[in-house]
Amino acid sequence: MNTPTSSQQVRERMLAVEDFTQGGAHTSVIAAPSLEKPLGDGVPRYYGEALQALARERTGIVALSADLTAPTETDLFRDTFPRRFLNAGIAEANMMGVAGGLARSGMQAWVHTFCVFATRRAYDQVAMQIAYPHADVKIVGFLPGLSTILGVSHQAIDDVALMRALPHMTVIEPSGPAQIPAAVRAAADHEGPVYLRLLRASAALAPDTPWEPLELGRIQALDDRDGDVLIVASGLTVEPARAAALALREQHGIRVAVANAHTLKPFDADFVLAQARRRKLIVTVENHSTLGGLGSATAEVLAEAGSGVRLLRLGVRDRFAQGASMQWLFERHGLTATGIADAVGSALG
Amino acid sequence: MNTNAFPIPWQQRDRLALPVAELRKVAHALRRQVIKLVRRHGQGYVQQGLGAAEIFASLYFNDARIDPAHPRWEERDRCILSTAHNSALFHAALALRGMIPAELLDDYIKDGSALEINVSERLGPVVEGTFGSLGQGLSVAAGMAAASRISGVDYRVNVILGDGELEEGQVWEAAMFAGSQRLNNLCVILDLNWMQVEGHTDDVLRLAPIADKWLAFGWNVIELDGHDLCALLKAFADARAETTKPTIIVATTVPGKGVSLLEGIISHNAKLPAEVADAALEELGEIA
Repeated sequence: MNTPTSSQQVRERMLAVEDFTQGGAHTSVIAAPSLEKPLGDGVPRYYGEALQALARERTGIVALSADLTAPTETDLFRDTFPRRFLNAGIAEANMMGVAGGLARSGMQAWVHTFCVFATRRAYDQVAMQIAYPHADVKIVGFLPGLSTILGVSHQAIDDVALMRALPHMTVIEPSGPAQIPAAVRAAADHEGPVYLRLLRASAALAPDTPWEPLELGRIQALDDRDGDVLIVASGLTVEPARAAALALREQHGIRVAVANAHTLKPFDADFVLAQARRRKLIVTVENHSTLGGLGSATAEVLAEAGSGVRLLRLGVRDRFAQGASMQWLFERHGLTATGIADAVGSALG
Repeated sequence: MNTNAFPIPWQQRDRLALPVAELRKVAHALRRQVIKLVRRHGQGYVQQGLGAAEIFASLYFNDARIDPAHPRWEERDRCILSTAHNSALFHAALALRGMIPAELLDDYIKDGSALEINVSERLGPVVEGTFGSLGQGLSVAAGMAAASRISGVDYRVNVILGDGELEEGQVWEAAMFAGSQRLNNLCVILDLNWMQVEGHTDDVLRLAPIADKWLAFGWNVIELDGHDLCALLKAFADARAETTKPTIIVATTVPGKGVSLLEGIISHNAKLPAEVADAALEELGEIA
């Protein structure tokens, strides 16, 4: 067997590569040399397209990636605006500093990697070169929480806590693909550091799916505004929370309102306190540790206002997970519709 | 109090391009100011300040394009101090170059002051970034250098690194990035004084061979005596002439240079008792 001697030869050998960057159940075969097209045909790249559209309008946008260009859908940007794209290699700490330097030179820098590497891996750099100077940098993290088979090294269960703790930082997590364009637009319009936490779509949205709006800093009320129980969910847990509410109503006659906390910082205290006066139980659900994320933010608001409403926090209970399919992990950690409905039912006795 | 040895700070826009004879006086004035600033606290980064006086003199008073009246002039050369603790010298240089009022130096390290012991951008736009968490300056400098290429606005980016700082892995990430991107408008000045908190760098981690490491990362490497102003000016000129690579000027410096009681003493955060400071000022004398 010949040793490949050029990058072209290496590429040609990559005849079948499994894409492990998505949920786990999703593996697709890609033909050489299209490492750049990691998902099977027909799955729109909602994030990549939104960034590309934005960059057409705004010439000051530059993008960086840490050797995860296609898995962060940034190849669309790279191929359209090659002069405004920088691949920083597998070096996230440097990438954050470079982004800070670009922002200090008048550009809006969008950095892309997985959530864990955008936060844990480069925290001091994010703090000092992005958050402290209020740099106009958008840190876009993929693979939130338990959304990957890649295991504990790639599972960001503390990224929201870390980013929330940084002064000047805004934290946004769209509930799903339909809210990604609005999230991208909101991040771009907010001058200053933003952490955007999202998962790529693994399937196309139904053709008639409406785009979800996103008003920065406002929790979005969803189904059934009444009832004694409110579930505040974020990101990938919004959908199971809505299914849980439906099941509770249909099977047990319990009316449960659901809200989408797409902005985790600044946190919509007004909404939470107004709701607290109307409910007997508030439930938070997050694809993240119950320490430092949505549950903590809600608890802080309720406690500081002296609200006596009961709070149930669902999420990852102060433990590391493991490599497995997202479905299995969500079941294991009580984040499926059934898990959420059971927990709410138990809390209500 | 006369905080400057020179009566009037320079305020001209663009390169000052002072000749070597003048730069010697500048370095001397900067050393006096470093002693005065550190004397007040009795302890600080006096050794680094004395050691890098020629580096700062050649950068701020000869090579760098600056407009003191408009610190965010778009075409200015960026000057970044990654070793943000070398603040006595940094603030002294800013004052002498007319970038901050000399009276501000009276506030150095006072509670609430913007002249902090680790330089921060609280001081205003004359400070290009806040470092002090070592290893970060080169990344930001590389971002600024890349921005020049993207925007077409022509400027150079100079960044002063310390040798102890090379122990931070991020420096090598940035070195690889700048080399790969061929950022020829980027220039590192490595203040190679072999000193870090716990003593001689060799007693902590082996840094040698430094030049070979940067060569291997695709850089133009210039080694020189960091007190040789002629060599520093030539190095800056060579860096400007380089068309395909970033440049690193590896400048060997002596901690405490110019004051016999302090010269060669390795002490990261040195005590400077009043009597030593007074003896140092006497030795440095007034500018003729």
